[in-house]
Amino acid sequence: MPRAGGTNATRADERHRPSPVRIDVEELGKSYGSFAALDNVSLTVKPGELLALLGPSGSGKTTLLRAIAGLTATEEGTIRFDGEDATVLSLRERRVGFVFQQYALFRHMTVFDNVAFGLRVRPREERPRAGEIARRVRRLLELVQLGGLEKRFPSQISGGQRQRVALARALAIEPRVLLLDEPFGALDAKVRKELRSWLRELHTETGLTTVFVTHDQEEALELADRVVIMRAGRVEQIGTPSEIYDEPATPFVCEFLGGVARFEVTAKEGEADVLGSLFPVEGDGDYHGPALAYVRAHEIEIVARERAEGVPAVIRAVRPFGPTVTVELSIEGRASRIEAEVPRELYSGGELGIGQGVFIRATSARIYAAN
Amino acid sequence: MSSDPLALDTSRIPSRPSPEPRPFFRTPVSETPLVKAALIATGLAFIVLMIFLPLAAVFFEAFRRGVEPFFASLVEPDALSAVRLTLLVAAISVPANLVFGLVASWAIAKFEFKGKSFLVTLIDLPFSVSPVIAGLVYILLFGSYGFVGPWLIANGYQIVFAVPGIVLATIFVTFPFVARQLIPLMEQQGKGDEEAALSLGASGLQTFFRVTLPNIKWALLYGVLLCNARAMGEFGAVSVVSGHIRGKTNTMPLHVEILYNEYNFVAAFAVASLLAFLALVTLVLKSVLEWRYGGELAASGRH
Amino acid sequence: MSNRSFALLRPAPSVLPGWGFTMGLTLTWLSLIILIPLAGVFVRSAGLGWDAFWTLAADPRTIAALKLSFGTALIAAGVNVVFGFLAAWVLVRYDFPGKRLFDAAIDLPFALPTAVAGLAFTALYAPNGWIGSLLVPLGIKVAYTPLGIVVALIFIGLPFVVRSVQPVLADFDKELEEASATLGASRLQTVARVILPTLLPSLLTGFALAFARGVGEYGSIIFIAGNIPYVSEIAPLLIVIRLEEFNYAGATAIAAIMLVISFALLLLINLLQAWNHRRTGIQA
Repeated sequence: MPRAGGTNATRADERHRPSPVRIDVEELGKSYGSFAALDNVSLTVKPGELLALLGPSGSGKTTLLRAIAGLTATEEGTIRFDGEDATVLSLRERRVGFVFQQYALFRHMTVFDNVAFGLRVRPREERPRAGEIARRVRRLLELVQLGGLEKRFPSQISGGQRQRVALARALAIEPRVLLLDEPFGALDAKVRKELRSWLRELHTETGLTTVFVTHDQEEALELADRVVIMRAGRVEQIGTPSEIYDEPATPFVCEFLGGVARFEVTAKEGEADVLGSLFPVEGDGDYHGPALAYVRAHEIEIVARERAEGVPAVIRAVRPFGPTVTVELSIEGRASRIEAEVPRELYSGGELGIGQGVFIRATSARIYAAN
Repeated sequence: MSSDPLALDTSRIPSRPSPEPRPFFRTPVSETPLVKAALIATGLAFIVLMIFLPLAAVFFEAFRRGVEPFFASLVEPDALSAVRLTLLVAAISVPANLVFGLVASWAIAKFEFKGKSFLVTLIDLPFSVSPVIAGLVYILLFGSYGFVGPWLIANGYQIVFAVPGIVLATIFVTFPFVARQLIPLMEQQGKGDEEAALSLGASGLQTFFRVTLPNIKWALLYGVLLCNARAMGEFGAVSVVSGHIRGKTNTMPLHVEILYNEYNFVAAFAVASLLAFLALVTLVLKSVLEWRYGGELAASGRH
Repeated sequence: MSNRSFALLRPAPSVLPGWGFTMGLTLTWLSLIILIPLAGVFVRSAGLGWDAFWTLAADPRTIAALKLSFGTALIAAGVNVVFGFLAAWVLVRYDFPGKRLFDAAIDLPFALPTAVAGLAFTALYAPNGWIGSLLVPLGIKVAYTPLGIVVALIFIGLPFVVRSVQPVLADFDKELEEASATLGASRLQTVARVILPTLLPSLLTGFALAFARGVGEYGSIIFIAGNIPYVSEIAPLLIVIRLEEFNYAGATAIAAIMLVISFALLLLINLLQAWNHRRTGIQA
């Protein structure tokens, strides 16, 4: 990707780039009838941070993003930009750069006119001159690597290019924060990957406080500084990608991140047996009663012979793709199969025949009290 | 299962009165209440002025002298013969356009060929031709100074200034109604259903009557309805070819004109109100079709 | 169809039957009812010779009538673009009691015979009519003037504009308006710069349909126009008058001119739409 243009533009901007904005969402509530779209949501987006709102559909993540933008009314709570109540501001005063999932480009305008739109609709006294508008639009189009496409119409460029036009258009109003709704949702897999790293770079260059919505956990964990996991209008967990991955706060987070096997177990004195080994219950050292245990595929070990720990299992399928080999196993008394990720050597060693009996154990497990 | 972490825990949704949205928040994609009210008022005032008021005027004028003169002007022999002729003309021209509409939309929608859009333009042509010209063309053809008129008249066939001319002119102005309703719909429906029927051993006609027709029946009815309204109400084209012979070649709209020119206003408005009533019935049926079978009527948009 | 000379009308291979029959019948019927009779107008005009045709066309009464027909149709279609858009906007965007009734009523001009409409407008706008009597003190005369023609043509053309715009407005992507708002546009700017330009092709379609219909309209006008030569005599009426005088050449010449101008305008508008569609992908 050509980088020269982008870097120059950034340097020119550096001098009067305002310091990034901090967003405080305080006890935000919004309901549609009896359905709570947002239920007492509080979080802080640090200045200059790239934050992901992650959750299944209907979890309220897009509602939250639209509320921050001022596109959706909320009934309770406040949103502050650098301490200032933003809910009383008009959209023009809010100056939020919003990139829509389907880009919402104006089809009757050229790429240039789309990007220039936000500057041209300013009140006369604030509006830059035509020459200045042209200069800024060109610079932005170079920043998003679309120089030369000014005269094209949105219908004449690719999906990825449209995405970047939408971004340039949002950046043209010199937004205080940048909000993106499923920024890669409408693109095919290959373009998604490319744009992902490019967005990361762009964020570094602009330094804007940026919030994006996604339902793709891989995208969120790979791209964001911090991730907010939402469910049914509430925040389930906030943390850095490694915190989320290593210390999922709730069973929901565990399951949403995926790649886990779930076991219903009974805990005694703060411990429960999972595949023949004892693991502690999260946050409660004396817990007695039903609990849910989650084990990731790579935390399941296959051993050929019974040791002190482990349970008998039968190999049902082997998927030898990628750096590790995935093995599907069934154990007695459990309907669904368990997936284990094992080193390739084990597979090349010829020890994984379908139908073969083995023993498995968990090297690690997260256990949550069920009530 | 209560322990399912993906299940919604409703007990945690606090029950509170659903508060009004913040007073200062207006969704950014709507107008202020004042602007909204002004727009609604202007728009509706325009519709009242242009649509409802004229309609009211017809009925008001028709009953101006009471109920008796109203009915008297409807049962008078010339009026009755105008009604009969109007029904006769519609009874011929509407089925003619129905058959043509079905045949044309089958050929156009179910096959791919060059010049398709040009052919559709030609079918739509009567919409952009003045009804008076629609009448004129038949006079140029069949009139006593026309291309084939003298020969026809010499052999005893009277086309213009007679019922056949009125029927022809009516078919001309209503020509596109059924076809243009069906073509976009049938194009959208594609030919998968028909191909399936044929592959199951149905004959061409069986396929048409059992597969195609049920798919388009409401749109067909809709087109026929509009076609019929125009056929019964056509004035310009019919006026040119009719010859205005009372009791013989006068349709209802022409009868209205004659009565009006004779300053017999109550009778003119009485017959006009009958036509207006017909239009209202058409509108009601049309609306019912739209509300009930909206999706099956048209591929995109209406008229 | 095996005949190679009919390549234009040979369909792509298909298993469906009936091509020859249905296409044959379509073309025959279309030719007999529409094309051959219409061609007669041009054959007759050509038969007049250029000089004779020109004399007929240049007749001041003919020119006045043509100007009136095209002029009033243009004004009425223009008014309908404004109010038709407003009506469509109100019917699509807002909820109010009686909305369905108003929506259904828009189609009345399609269903009401033109003669009845003409009669109704004459009754309303005559100096002693409901509206006419209100306008007399203001010195405004509607009935028996070109203004009356415009009023009748607004009625005739209204549904064309509303029904062209309505579905496009209903499908309008709200996100475009939201995008415009987040970029700092006022509501008025959003309507003027984002919504209207997107609706322009459908407004143009509605305009063209209303205009074409208005140029040729006869029934609703002759009652209200007063039909004074050079003042309020429309071209279709002049055709009728020439026919009644057995002046077939005169009638044919006027018809030929009307047809040529109407078709040329429709062609122009279609080309404009096609050009816009190629550029922006916006369908009328």
